[in-house]
Amino acid sequence: MENLVLVGLTNVLTFTNIALILGGTLLGLFVGAMPGLSATMALALLLPLTFSMDPATGLSMLAALYVGASYGGSIAAILLRTPGTPSAAATVLDGYPLSQQGHAGKALGISLFASFVGGLMSGIALLTAAPLLGVLVLKFGPIELFAIAVLGITIIGSLSQGSVISGLLSGALGLLVSTVGMDLITGTPRMTFGNINLFSGIEFTVALIGLFSIPQALVLIENAKGSQKTASKITDRLIPKLSEIRQLMPNIFRSGGIGIITGLIPGTGGDTASWFAYNEAKRFAKDKSRFGKGDIAGVAAPEAANNAVVGGALIPTIALGIPGSSSTAILLGALMVQGILPGPNLLTDYGDVTYTLIWGVIVANIALLGVGLMFTRLCVSVTRVPDSFVACAIITLCVIGSFAINNSFFEVGLMLGFGLFGYWMNRAGVSPAPMVIGLILGPVMETSYQQSMLIGQGNPTIFLTSPIAVVLFAIAIFSILQATPFFRWVRGVLRPGTQA
Amino acid sequence: MQQRRIFAASLLSALMASGAAHAEYSAGDEIKVLQGFKAGGGSDALAQLTQPFLRESLDVEFINEYLPGATGGIAWTRLAKQSPNDGTVISITNTPMLMTNYIMNEEINYSIEELTPIANVVTDPGIIVVPKDSPYQTVEDFFAAAEERPGELTVGNSGVGGDDFFSTIMIEKATGLSFQKVPFQGDGPSATAALGGKIDASFNNLGNVYGHIQSGDLRPLAVFAQERIGVLPDVPTLVEMDIDVVAGSSRGYSAPAGIPDEARADLIAAFEALKDNEEFQATAQERAMNLEILTGDEYGQMMENMEGQFEVIWDEVKDEVEG
Repeated sequence: MENLVLVGLTNVLTFTNIALILGGTLLGLFVGAMPGLSATMALALLLPLTFSMDPATGLSMLAALYVGASYGGSIAAILLRTPGTPSAAATVLDGYPLSQQGHAGKALGISLFASFVGGLMSGIALLTAAPLLGVLVLKFGPIELFAIAVLGITIIGSLSQGSVISGLLSGALGLLVSTVGMDLITGTPRMTFGNINLFSGIEFTVALIGLFSIPQALVLIENAKGSQKTASKITDRLIPKLSEIRQLMPNIFRSGGIGIITGLIPGTGGDTASWFAYNEAKRFAKDKSRFGKGDIAGVAAPEAANNAVVGGALIPTIALGIPGSSSTAILLGALMVQGILPGPNLLTDYGDVTYTLIWGVIVANIALLGVGLMFTRLCVSVTRVPDSFVACAIITLCVIGSFAINNSFFEVGLMLGFGLFGYWMNRAGVSPAPMVIGLILGPVMETSYQQSMLIGQGNPTIFLTSPIAVVLFAIAIFSILQATPFFRWVRGVLRPGTQA
Repeated sequence: MQQRRIFAASLLSALMASGAAHAEYSAGDEIKVLQGFKAGGGSDALAQLTQPFLRESLDVEFINEYLPGATGGIAWTRLAKQSPNDGTVISITNTPMLMTNYIMNEEINYSIEELTPIANVVTDPGIIVVPKDSPYQTVEDFFAAAEERPGELTVGNSGVGGDDFFSTIMIEKATGLSFQKVPFQGDGPSATAALGGKIDASFNNLGNVYGHIQSGDLRPLAVFAQERIGVLPDVPTLVEMDIDVVAGSSRGYSAPAGIPDEARADLIAAFEALKDNEEFQATAQERAMNLEILTGDEYGQMMENMEGQFEVIWDEVKDEVEG
């Protein structure tokens, strides 16, 4: 065992492999920064290239790409209010206000640092605890997944800046839109209006691009007068201050932990993890009012979490041969092509290759720090381009990105539809963030509910038979009560003087 | 390590063999392959397996076009309705999905009459697996329990309309038993649920669960093949127990209806040649893909049989499922 760990390390540390890891990270950054181009897509396209490579080389490069893309998504999120990947959507909330205030460099630096720590944490978890944590995965069946989805939905309440009603409205719309497509249990299409393009449901990334990016482009055009430059001038340092790092460390560790656990559970990924981490960062913060207006904690949390998901999602992949996310499913495909069948023997019989992959993830995170610093500087120059050009570039990227998802124009039309709707939401003061949560968790919640009811022969008490689910439900109830006047009243009674 | 070397060797020799046996493809030097699923999935795996070999024997370049959506329905509608039938466009066709798509949804309106079946390449046979600590040691135990508690044993499948869903119903019809069917989003989640003991059994496909069977985490009870499988000699087939269910998930290639006879013959000949290609066989085995090469009319017959079978089944269960 010890031996295989070292074999993996020496496999990674060759000149070719390091060079390819750097290349993979850079490519990942680039793909991540483009809205609509996802890590999964890039992995699938690069996969055939690795067939002729040595497994160590091929896998290290793919792992580096995955790691790079997880950070890359935040660049466009912070600079352009356009999440490059679904998991960077939460980063928009505080990242973009920071860049508007002229702190784009700081926001990107924090994001890079948080990504690095989160990624490294998950790499270490992968290296040390994969077999132990892997077993945890099997504890999560439909019943537990339903509880997670319910808990996730409670985040909506805390995300709605301003009116709670408009937040709930937005969340409900997300849930509604997520019901479009084939019903899992009956196999019949719902709300598709006979259009087979809608049979597989609305591609979540299409909605995300539309809701965040198009309104932003329209706002930029509206505000562009003459050749005026963007508000954000990058004069600040990229490298965060030591005091800031010290202050953020607990937040980053917590978010990294959330990322690893969320990555572990099949069916949830970087998108879910970043919202969970954001919500917890806000819950633990002393001053909650700064969230959404440019708090560095609101950037660090989702970024640490979505990079930690990489290692987290690889744990069940490696320990059990069960992919934790769609990206790891493709990595698993890469192993199969090398003649390695997915299963629990990955860590034993094929240990040399598997440990190479694990070390590849760790080395890629270190590479990320270096490549990220250089590349991000370059990206920051975007902010010196006049708004009207930036707006056109955003719209072009959105069209390319939504087309690339299924190679079809239907998605482009759908994306533009969501864009106009998002613009209207912006105008009406309704935040699109809860809608995104609804879209992410709606299918998980519905599917797992239906499966649980089938397993429980239609008896709803099945949800109380799982201790994990019961605990998660209890947290969800607490989380809802916390936001009601009742809770404030109880707190006031218990601790006179601290009433909010 | 050993396997890796074999793979590298086979790839190398495949590349070197390019000088030999060049047959020009009569319909051109480029073939577009429509894939109904995302890059990196099972269809793509088939493309990566076969196309390098076909490229050599037909002397053509393959261009993969991924058109995911409606469980392949979008790509197959495009193939049947909107593709030139001159032999320059073909598609990877997955059965039984190819037929169940339009049997179950009236909005999907292509049919196999609008296609030219070229060849089936791989078939992943159906299999019943139970968790390692399951009380059911044999398929007899399992069926006996189902008889005792009708409709209570929970059985996972890969989704309504998939091969596992239909094979569960075929078994129910053949044995008179009934199970509580729990659909998942694909074979993987169904197997995971069985691994975690969340369901009593998963009706799955061999290729997806073989690793877990080897490690002892899942116990195979029966396979839905005509004969016992080489890698699992101790696992009985249902046919042996006089339950006439042979089912699996297959992938092959089809062209639009009415392609030139010469192009059809060229393509069929290329797939026929794969039957005797040892490198091809070895590569497939390494990637755990179970070959079942049926070309031309044989493949057409296979599709027609499935279509007939599944139309009858769906007619019977439709009202119950759609409730």
